[in-house]
Amino acid sequence: MSVSRRDIEKIAALAELGVDDASAAELEKQLTRILDYVAQLSEVTDDATSAVDERAARLRRDVVDPDSLSRTPKEIAPAFTDGLFTVPRLGELDRGEDAP
Amino acid sequence: MTDFVRAAREAAQRIAACEEKGTHAFLAWSEAALVEQAERLAKADATGPLAGEAVAVKDVIAESVFPTTCGSKILEGWRSPFEATVVRRLREAGAMVAGKANCDEFAMGSSTEWSAYGPSRNPVDPTRVPGGSSGGSAAAVAAGAVTMALGSETGGSVRQPAAFCGIVGIKPTYGRVSRYGLVAFGSSLDQIGTFGKDVVSAARLLGVISGRDDRDATSLDRIPLGEPGPAPASLKGTVIGVPREYFPEGLHAGIKAASDRALARLRDLGAEVRDVSLPHTKYAVPTYYIVAPAEASSNLARYDGVRYGPRADGGLTDVRAVYRATRGHGFGPEVRRRILLGTYVLSAGYYDAYYRKAQRVREAIRADFARVFAQGVHALFTPTTPTPAFKFGENTADPLAMYLSDVYVCTANLAWVPALSLPIGRDQGLPIGGQLIGAMEGEATIIRIAQALERAVNATAEVR
Amino acid sequence: MSWETVVGLEVHVQLLTATKMFCACSSKFGDPPNTNVCPVCLGLPGALPVPNEQAVRLAVRAAFALGCTVHPRSIFARKNYFYPDLPKGYQISQFEEPLATGGALEFVSAERGPVTVRIKRLHLEEDAGKSFHDRVPGMTAVDFNRSGVPLIEIVSEPDLRSPAEARAYLTTLKQILKYVEVSDCNMEEGSLRVDANLSIRPVGSSELRTRTEVKNMNSFSGVERALTAERERQIAATERGEEVVQTTMLFDAASGEVRPMRSKEEAQDYRYFPEPDLPPLVLTEKWLAAERAALPELPAAKRERLVKQYALPPADSAVLSASRGLADYYERVVKAGVAPKDAANWVMNDLLALSPDGETLAPAPERLVEVIGLVSGGKVSRQTAKRILGEMVSAPKDAALAVAERLGLLQVSDTGAIEGWVRETLAAHPAEVARYKAGESKLMGFLVGQAMKRSQGKADPKAVGAALAAALAR
Repeated sequence: MSVSRRDIEKIAALAELGVDDASAAELEKQLTRILDYVAQLSEVTDDATSAVDERAARLRRDVVDPDSLSRTPKEIAPAFTDGLFTVPRLGELDRGEDAP
Repeated sequence: MTDFVRAAREAAQRIAACEEKGTHAFLAWSEAALVEQAERLAKADATGPLAGEAVAVKDVIAESVFPTTCGSKILEGWRSPFEATVVRRLREAGAMVAGKANCDEFAMGSSTEWSAYGPSRNPVDPTRVPGGSSGGSAAAVAAGAVTMALGSETGGSVRQPAAFCGIVGIKPTYGRVSRYGLVAFGSSLDQIGTFGKDVVSAARLLGVISGRDDRDATSLDRIPLGEPGPAPASLKGTVIGVPREYFPEGLHAGIKAASDRALARLRDLGAEVRDVSLPHTKYAVPTYYIVAPAEASSNLARYDGVRYGPRADGGLTDVRAVYRATRGHGFGPEVRRRILLGTYVLSAGYYDAYYRKAQRVREAIRADFARVFAQGVHALFTPTTPTPAFKFGENTADPLAMYLSDVYVCTANLAWVPALSLPIGRDQGLPIGGQLIGAMEGEATIIRIAQALERAVNATAEVR
Repeated sequence: MSWETVVGLEVHVQLLTATKMFCACSSKFGDPPNTNVCPVCLGLPGALPVPNEQAVRLAVRAAFALGCTVHPRSIFARKNYFYPDLPKGYQISQFEEPLATGGALEFVSAERGPVTVRIKRLHLEEDAGKSFHDRVPGMTAVDFNRSGVPLIEIVSEPDLRSPAEARAYLTTLKQILKYVEVSDCNMEEGSLRVDANLSIRPVGSSELRTRTEVKNMNSFSGVERALTAERERQIAATERGEEVVQTTMLFDAASGEVRPMRSKEEAQDYRYFPEPDLPPLVLTEKWLAAERAALPELPAAKRERLVKQYALPPADSAVLSASRGLADYYERVVKAGVAPKDAANWVMNDLLALSPDGETLAPAPERLVEVIGLVSGGKVSRQTAKRILGEMVSAPKDAALAVAERLGLLQVSDTGAIEGWVRETLAAHPAEVARYKAGESKLMGFLVGQAMKRSQGKADPKAVGAALAAALAR
């Protein structure tokens, strides 16, 4: 499975990972090699048609009892104004979800 | 009555001696912090099975005294405002946190060479790696700085460094120990594991930290394992399986010799040794290197500079630019590689062929183990690693070469079964580990067998 | 060319739980920002989710109320994307194996009559924090109080055929979900949010053409306006020969227009995979049966029953069953002995006049019954009843008689007093009396009115009328 430069750019964008040109070239080679290696799984034909997880989630009672923070949001935030975490404004409301 | 403060000062001396040699087992520690914890314990008249112990804690485990950096720049200086459940339990048992141990960045690696703060050195041979990712924890125990340490496993990161450093390392059944406070790498694989200078130390620590935690929905509904029992005098009635896939033609001669010797000791102790097969073993590494990076790519998405940690600012006016700069600069090359790999195998068009397929092969691997244990085998014996500790720089140029060193250990992570490594000899001065793998929830069995084997084998004797 | 509109709705509803979906922080709306937060809902390194039992219960209740099949086993999944108010960089939701599928919602469309909209799926997920883009200059500011609040997402098939139908669907959905006490469904407060998908096609065609997604609507009327604008835009574009491009359109309430979000180069790839931190959600048959049995009578059933049981016209029944509270109120009044039709009038006119939101119903049914009794017993006039009821809202424990007395509204039925007023009236208006006796019987109204004036409105008009008639007949 050959990984192209375009592939690297696409997945780096999905992962919000800045990748410079020098690294991109190296990554193309390394990821191609790794993906070729892991692709041998396609040889396996006797794997389960559906892996059934037998566990059942334990549910929590609806009672207010939060795990406390020894430092407040204000103290942990890189930037904080008027009780709110702040980041440089998005260029565009291009969230995949409802905006407001 | 434990003299906590004296214990603290003695621990500080041992840690100082270890670090002065350039071991770099720790990313953060101080005598003052040890003494402060000791004073608190003394004031509370603390008792408990670990009273007075100083335990090294891998830097991927959240704890309040020191930063939790996960060996990464992206969490440089991050002081967690909450503690992991295992750390709370340590303290309740009367122990102190000796310091935060070095590790490969976000637990991704097999040598600590990927730590953003420099590697740790193998105390047995400082030109060689201590293994990884929990290399700092292993080095701290091997150097005598502490007698027990916490590490974590996703693909063998406790057992492999235990083998490289000549100490004991245990990975529990998945769900045995709470992951609340363990910084996630591969959530369906991660487990906190324990190191000890001997089996009983590692087992005692596991006994204290294990047990159901309502803050971790994947933790088993079980009480803590508690203190290990006495070492058995005989292993009569115990069936040890030897999976042929772990003993290929061309296995490193020293590893083979050590394993043969250990098997002979097991027979001497009265165990029946049986040949078995785990046919899907060769697919374990490729399966692991799809599942783990996939989950990691998602688990590491939270490191975006928005709510905590350092943020790449420098006049960036758009939040996406902040993400890319923070993450691009904050993550090292191995982490970036795995995030990209993981993103790829989850992405549209590739999910079925890679991730979904890998989870199905994983089931086949799990079924291999279940089948063998259902046939009356109590534990499997295998080498822990294909080679003894390698030299610095030997595997960093080729990521795949590094991954292949996990071949004997990552199966237990995939199958969720417990596994343990104990030192079984040396080859040209380098420690060699023997691995015991148990059935689901079979910690007591492998601990018992390990205790017996430990007594029967000379861990520091040359095997060839 | 005649165009048909095809609309599907995705509705996100916040559940009425005390705590969040995956942590024990309070989920209360309106607290100071970033005060209901913890390691889990802030996405701190090492935190883990644990599902809220009550959220599951409410989701199941909603699913049953919408006629869905609830799956005993469902799987949580991660939806991966980056946004400042999404702390983990993924949302825990459900994807391939959701909690419920295959439901239906019925309402009456003004254009088509009774309509059934199929509900494709209903699943559980967590909310994100709230982003403010204009609070701090140049910055996006985030409050994580909302992060982790439990949501259900309800996805309809594209069975709606107009903006008005979309609005009717939402109104009906809100009524049902409020009936089962699953959510407040308040769009203005954000406990109900709507994303709409709209496409057009020639009338008579059954193809599904390219659709756009419409977001940023803050009210049900906003939804209708937004979809109207988007339909018109698509029709105009198509008639100009242009292709409808798959985009996201944002509604601007101030202008009533929709505008496209700047189009992204790549469509989002959420890379869904099963949530490894959560085992499957397993619900026993026994538990499900109990939840199904505990459902209250739903709006449609209640409407029908009120018509049948009390012989009410459908329009009245619809008003009285707008909320469970109102319907229960009505039935208590009837059970206390008031005739169903009378009770309906009293509740719809007098009671609802005192309750602008239709929710806070005061005074209590027993008090209303007392007032009705006073009127039918001639102790107060029908007109003064409203005043008495109004007074009782602030004095809920006082009996009607006491309130009427306090207000001096008790009618006088004392025959002596009435005869006195009648005598005075007849004496004061001899001309009218004569004309009445000569045959102008409508002057009775005038004479009754005069007698009432003399009594300062306090006389029982029926008694006055009777006394006058008797006196004039002599």
